[in-house]
Amino acid sequence: MLFLFLLPQALAAQTGTNEMSKDENGKYIYYQVADKIIVPADSLHQRCLSFFKNRKFKNLAQKDDQLIAEGKMIINKTAFVLTHPSGEILFNFTFETKPGKYRFWLTDFLFIPYSRDRYGNFVATTAKGRPLENLPGKLNAAEWKSYIDAAYKQSDALGAEFKQFLSRNPSASPVTAKPKTISTTNW
Amino acid sequence: MKFKSFFTTLSALSLSAVTYAQESTTSTSSALQISGSADTYYKYDFAKKPNIGTSFAEDHNSISLGMIDLALKKNTGKASFVGELSFGPRGQYASIPNGNGEAANADNSFHIQNLYTSYAFTDKFSMTAGYMGTFIGYEVIAPTGNFNYSTSYLFTNGPFQNAGIKANYVFSSKAALMVGLFDDWNVYKDLNGVSHFGAQLTLSPVEGWTAYLNMLTGRSAGAPGTGSIYDLTTAYQVTEKVKLGLNAADYSVSNDNGGYSGAAFYFQNAFTTSFSLGLRAEYFKTKDIADAEGSSVTSITVSGTLKAGGLTFIPEIRFDNGNTARFVKNNLDPTKSASQFSLAAVYAF
Repeated sequence: MLFLFLLPQALAAQTGTNEMSKDENGKYIYYQVADKIIVPADSLHQRCLSFFKNRKFKNLAQKDDQLIAEGKMIINKTAFVLTHPSGEILFNFTFETKPGKYRFWLTDFLFIPYSRDRYGNFVATTAKGRPLENLPGKLNAAEWKSYIDAAYKQSDALGAEFKQFLSRNPSASPVTAKPKTISTTNW
Repeated sequence: MKFKSFFTTLSALSLSAVTYAQESTTSTSSALQISGSADTYYKYDFAKKPNIGTSFAEDHNSISLGMIDLALKKNTGKASFVGELSFGPRGQYASIPNGNGEAANADNSFHIQNLYTSYAFTDKFSMTAGYMGTFIGYEVIAPTGNFNYSTSYLFTNGPFQNAGIKANYVFSSKAALMVGLFDDWNVYKDLNGVSHFGAQLTLSPVEGWTAYLNMLTGRSAGAPGTGSIYDLTTAYQVTEKVKLGLNAADYSVSNDNGGYSGAAFYFQNAFTTSFSLGLRAEYFKTKDIADAEGSSVTSITVSGTLKAGGLTFIPEIRFDNGNTARFVKNNLDPTKSASQFSLAAVYAF
């Protein structure tokens, strides 16, 4: 049975470049296709739902062979010893299967800046996110570019985690393995 | 164009040593967060006297300092702490308390903005103890927390900070309740025991709209009566560009020992991500005390914010008009109105 869970040898990356691509509508997208999949589609769907639950994705929608949910990534600002969250990026995660393959993509990226509140905590300054495609002009262009780069890096990390999650047998690999007990009496 | 190039260069400089990393929010222990701000300002009062009683930006015709504010935060599992100190006129001389209460140390201190620890028993229930920014009101001490640089009368007359212990329970994403026991306003220690009770009901009926219903009541050391403040603070992000805010408060000291009431309306429009314009319109009235009749003042403040990376320039013009001659003219004759222009530079990191 083990071989049933051995997943793709070939995973088609979106562009081969280390930056965010755009789709045919001009929206930023992180897009991945995996083929030679031998896990049944319903199992993939269950694992995908578990992944969404683990990552606390919201507003799950199901349509035919497609699962859609809303996720969030935190962008941190670091410089030398200084670090704190500078904002969050909301996105839609879509997962879709066909016989022998699946694909997923992250898009509709919205940036929400953080600022420090009266208690010293970093919180969202607005409930309305700004699409990453809407460039802010020269004064804040460098900062905005860093958000796009961070969105790509986090999407790539999330995508790798998602593929690994789909490829493993949930029942055979507990999330938290017990540490081995060392006996000091018998030696 | 030169002006724009100047900002572009500043923006690039501010980002030159900055990288953006990523971090999962599921971590139970965070890195030590370090953040803060620094601000400076120039103010010109058109009567050439420091007329308008705004907190912090008081000096006339002088390039003056605000403060440097340094904040640390760390959480380990469910426990966290925040420590925030400020240095400079805005933090030391203009904020209260200052020094340790001894006259000789009155001007020789730093000011604690926040110093508290917190424990989240569950995702919904947490408790916090220490010295915290007040939960009352719309505006705050740190210039990064306000749109306008000068402050409202409601802010200046209300509490700045409260030491105490509070419990917070989140019912849902739309409602939360905080109740707590507090010291007197703006003190590191309470001379007449823990004397105040406070509560805050937070409501978020629709996305982008949050309302806080606040109350704080108690008898401060040496006060002639029990002071109670009831406060509504609400903000609504109407669109990505437009934000509305309202602060209304009533404070009274029992046995006709005065107080105040007032309301401030805020309107802000972000024309671009770099440039926003905002209006504050305020009415403020002090209550009668014995033979002294209370007075009122209306204030209109128009502020712009020009952002370049972490740096924000705030040009501002303000007109105040009282029902009594509370201001002075250039020749020191009393007058009912005053106006001022200011330009502030605030850097957040």
